[in-house]
Amino acid sequence: MADSLSPECTPLKSKYDTCFNAWFEGYLEPAVTVSSSERSAYSKEKADEFEAKCGKVWGQYRACVQKAVMEKGLGDLLQQAREENPLREPPVVQSSRRTS
Amino acid sequence: MKFFSQSFLYDDPWPIVSLAFFLRYPNPYAAHVISCDVISRNQTSSGSLLTTRLILKRGAMPRWFPKGIVSRAESWVIEESEVDPHGMVVRCRTKNLDHVKVMQVEEAVEFRQTPEGKTLQHTEARIVSGFGWGLTKRIENHGLTRFKANLQRSREGVSLILSLLRQSRLQPITLGAPTSVLGTPSAGDFSNDTSQPKNGTWTKLRYWFQPPS
Repeated sequence: MADSLSPECTPLKSKYDTCFNAWFEGYLEPAVTVSSSERSAYSKEKADEFEAKCGKVWGQYRACVQKAVMEKGLGDLLQQAREENPLREPPVVQSSRRTS
Repeated sequence: MKFFSQSFLYDDPWPIVSLAFFLRYPNPYAAHVISCDVISRNQTSSGSLLTTRLILKRGAMPRWFPKGIVSRAESWVIEESEVDPHGMVVRCRTKNLDHVKVMQVEEAVEFRQTPEGKTLQHTEARIVSGFGWGLTKRIENHGLTRFKANLQRSREGVSLILSLLRQSRLQPITLGAPTSVLGTPSAGDFSNDTSQPKNGTWTKLRYWFQPPS
């Protein structure tokens, strides 16, 4: 896994990535097609599972990176970019199914 | 402004391609990636996963570019992604945060499961320079050429990770001790629900991505 922007956060990032990736692999494959009400139950279950398994290391890693971002003076740059959060707008690649 | 779009079909199903896409750094085709951090990540009520990553990439200015304008050929890139495991879609948008006056590259990529169980990648890019001095066109053309080459390399990187994941799922071998990071290596870890039929490919592969130091 790639390094963190701050060397002191890299060990926490490695731990977090390892935990997240194991969780993510399962998250990508919901067992069966579920109805929308079951979806939110699935979502809640996965969120709880993440919190139980990776919540602590995520909190530590996030705090480390946030500190490093501020120290490197990247806070404003990031804030500005996030205010133009592209995912709040309709995505350019629309959901119509495309063929190659 | 230059616009570019391209589609590519992976033979593999969406979950494994999406996993490979998120695991793509580092790989030998992405030596220009210096660092990659998750800045925020949360699940929406509809079950999608939203992630913001901050990536530092090393670049090189073309020889013809005026000296002394860009002091360091590194660029911060923000990547915002949305993963919808039910709709089987990944949407991801990236753009550079600095040197934007010289050139801004905005990329939108989507991975979507096809009815045949393959994965269609669609990429769109906008390349804009506000540099002036008669160099705008040349910068944009250069950016486009580089973007196309990088897209090819990026796909080779994802394909490499894909082949590793595929091999790992076919052979029930353990490349590393499957211990949990949290120090509780119980058999129940990450397999206590039915949502993970191919249990723990990531766990088997983690030492390839992250060799024990």
